[in-house]
Amino acid sequence: MLRVKEVSHAYGELVSLRQVSLQAAAGEIVCLLGPSGCGKTTLLRIIAGLETGYRGRVTWNDVDIGNLPAHQREFGLMFQDFALFPHMSVADNIAYGLKRRGLRRPLVNKRVTAQLERVGLAGMGERDVASLSGGQKQRVALARSLAPNPRLLMLDEPLGSLDAQLRDQLALELRGLIKEQGLSAIYVTHDHREAYAVADRIAVMDVGSVEQVDTPQDLYLRPGSGFVARFLGMTNVFPWRRSRFTEALGKAALPEQKCGDSLLIHPAGIQLGGAVADRSLQWDGVLLSKVFRGDYYDVSVSLDEGTTLAFSAPRVAAEPGDAVSIAVSLEAVIPLVS
Amino acid sequence: MRPRWRFVKILVYLLPVAFLGVFFVYPILTLFDISLRPDGALDLSAFAHLTSSDYYRETLLFTIYQALISTGATLLLSLPCAFVFARYRFRGRSLLLSLATLPFVLPTVVVALAFSAVLGERGLVNDMLRLLFALDEAPIQLERTLAIIIIAHVFYNFSVALRIMTGYWSSLGFHAEEAARCLGAGELAIWRDIRLPLIRPALLSAGVLVFIFCFTSFGVVLILGGIRFATLEVQIYYQAVSIFNLPLAAALSLVQIASMLLMLLVYTASQRRLQIPHGGRSEHSARPHTPRARMVVFITVGLMAILLFSPLAALLWRSLFAAGNLDATGFTSLAEKTRASLLFTTPLEAVFNSLRFALIATSAAVILGTAAAFLIEQRGVWSRLVDPLFMLPLATSAVTLGFGFIVALDEPPLDLRRSWIIIPVSHALAALPFVIRSVLPSLRAIPPSLGEAASVLGARELVKLRTIDLPLVGRGLVVGATFAFTVSMGEFGASLFVAQRESVTIPVVIYRLLGHPGLQSYRQALAMSVILMLVCAGGFLIIERLRGAGVGEF
Repeated sequence: MLRVKEVSHAYGELVSLRQVSLQAAAGEIVCLLGPSGCGKTTLLRIIAGLETGYRGRVTWNDVDIGNLPAHQREFGLMFQDFALFPHMSVADNIAYGLKRRGLRRPLVNKRVTAQLERVGLAGMGERDVASLSGGQKQRVALARSLAPNPRLLMLDEPLGSLDAQLRDQLALELRGLIKEQGLSAIYVTHDHREAYAVADRIAVMDVGSVEQVDTPQDLYLRPGSGFVARFLGMTNVFPWRRSRFTEALGKAALPEQKCGDSLLIHPAGIQLGGAVADRSLQWDGVLLSKVFRGDYYDVSVSLDEGTTLAFSAPRVAAEPGDAVSIAVSLEAVIPLVS
Repeated sequence: MRPRWRFVKILVYLLPVAFLGVFFVYPILTLFDISLRPDGALDLSAFAHLTSSDYYRETLLFTIYQALISTGATLLLSLPCAFVFARYRFRGRSLLLSLATLPFVLPTVVVALAFSAVLGERGLVNDMLRLLFALDEAPIQLERTLAIIIIAHVFYNFSVALRIMTGYWSSLGFHAEEAARCLGAGELAIWRDIRLPLIRPALLSAGVLVFIFCFTSFGVVLILGGIRFATLEVQIYYQAVSIFNLPLAAALSLVQIASMLLMLLVYTASQRRLQIPHGGRSEHSARPHTPRARMVVFITVGLMAILLFSPLAALLWRSLFAAGNLDATGFTSLAEKTRASLLFTTPLEAVFNSLRFALIATSAAVILGTAAAFLIEQRGVWSRLVDPLFMLPLATSAVTLGFGFIVALDEPPLDLRRSWIIIPVSHALAALPFVIRSVLPSLRAIPPSLGEAASVLGARELVKLRTIDLPLVGRGLVVGATFAFTVSMGEFGASLFVAQRESVTIPVVIYRLLGHPGLQSYRQALAMSVILMLVCAGGFLIIERLRGAGVGEF
């Protein structure tokens, strides 16, 4: 199991990681999710042994690996730009790590063939890597990092340079392949939907620190801070002390523990019009906008004082400018730390 | 396109072509004529003499041999430096990289003199050793040896190789080697499997270029080596000027041209491979974190600084101090006529000559080079034809060029042998390829959509040229102008051939002063070299800075 303990790192004056702790159990896929520049790639490079000059500890099965050079860690790393060796064929790329482990030629060839089949590139071993499409390059990079049976697989935005259609499909495949080998994996991405699809647990990072670690479901339902909520695409974050909520919610007698600096009105708990459930609040407002998304509409409703709630609704008959009423489930009111 | 604009365009394109025809193709053809038909009839005796004589075969072999060793040594030293520069970010990195280019823009005579000032018999190192160990004789006897020629060549070409490899390595990035590291490759395996194979195109390209420079090296070999180490280039000069065997000199020139053409072909081929993108990004360098990395950076930078700056410092020191005392007579006597009867002018007048010629040559090279670059960028049959044609001056040695001038431009209407104009013309010719190569990349980098957007927004052809193309190639133009200026200031081989007594340039005067015995001449030569060094360095730094400031505008 991988354990990162209170790791701090700086590029000159620029602090990139601040006391970051994280762990990945055997067979677990942990996603590092955050905006660019939040330090997730740096953390990955520290785990890989490519970045030195940090404080804190990195252990594998409780053994400190801080002084172990990258080439002795037996971790796999898949780069965002794939970093395929341009002067080698597909097969030679995949064979590289096996040869470094001192495997004999016949065994290397067998393993390369098996890897090529596994990633769906059977028979393409002799191809020049420059002749491959983006998706194929991604598969070669994956096969190359999987071939030497790494103890831990790290993936840095592995789908970042691919187009959206390919991304959804490959995210699923990736998870399947990692789970099939029972690998521990650290997966870096800035796309929360990709993280939901791939991860067992997600660590959301903001400038240099881990904000929240949770399963995808828990993260979605209960984001812990305004930053996490916004990063997951939820915009209904308000200061707790705003009079309208104090009043309204005070009346509704929220559970005692629900108090923080600010609150999130979870979009999943907002309904347009319709019947009012037991534990819910009802507010009147004006429909600001509705955007057709196919199966649903993205709508925003302005309550008075300029407070705007965004959520999605299956059917919207009202037009922008119409008066509407909304129902907010009390479970959807989530206290946040600033 | 309106017919009038088209006409102007063709006229502008014809300018550089005509220039090249008159001042390059015609003289070279005349050389062919002299070597093949010395008396009006086909006579291959000069070639027969060349091929039958061991002496000339050895000259060719020696030329190749010294160039090979020089190239090998240059690459061996610059490869690790390029790695450090591409890999690590450290204080003073870009300044050092900039300064490392300084030797390359220094004239050969200055470099030669600088090396004799540091390693020569009267050089600093010998002085120090003599003082330290109370010796009577100079312990290091490098003057007129192959070793000092090679050291000077390394010094000269180090930055060329360094720049090519550093640039390429930075663009490649280091993800491939990091990937290899994660796959279990140690330092040795990374050098063998990743770094060397990946850098090979740049290594090859730099190698061929350095080889070309060493193959045609004239000033360094002439001054540091003497006739004992005659390369083809030096041999041509001796045959033409000292022995006056024009057919033989012309035949040697043909051999020179043929060899250079061959190498230029190899070079263009290697360049093509260099441009294959490997999908790398640009920001890869990191601070040296580990003590080992810091040590590597420190040692590399230290050694580089010693190699690159000790000769220049020695030159400066030698010009200002004699036997430990301040003695600036070299400088103060520059305005005086020397006893050297060869010189009718004072050294100071040569400084003015050099500056005047450099300004004319730079203007001409920039105008003609830009026109040529636009012509090449047309991408028609024409451009494919003229592109290699404009590179030919680069493949022709300066000595050959100068020799061609005096044998070809000697009768009306083009009797320029006694005119000073022939000097800036030869300089402009030598600088032309540099200007074209500097402008062309930025010109090619302009996406066609920009011009189209300007057209749609209402810009006429001339407006488009002024508002889109020229501003976007501005940086390339400045770089080209730098090259042209420094090439002209330092040009030695052709000037030695064509300069008249009243139109001598700084390098020619330095060479003549060196050939003249006496301490005063030597000190004047040192002083002139320092002036030339400062002018080249100053111009170079100013333009580097301009370029840096200009980048932000586009």
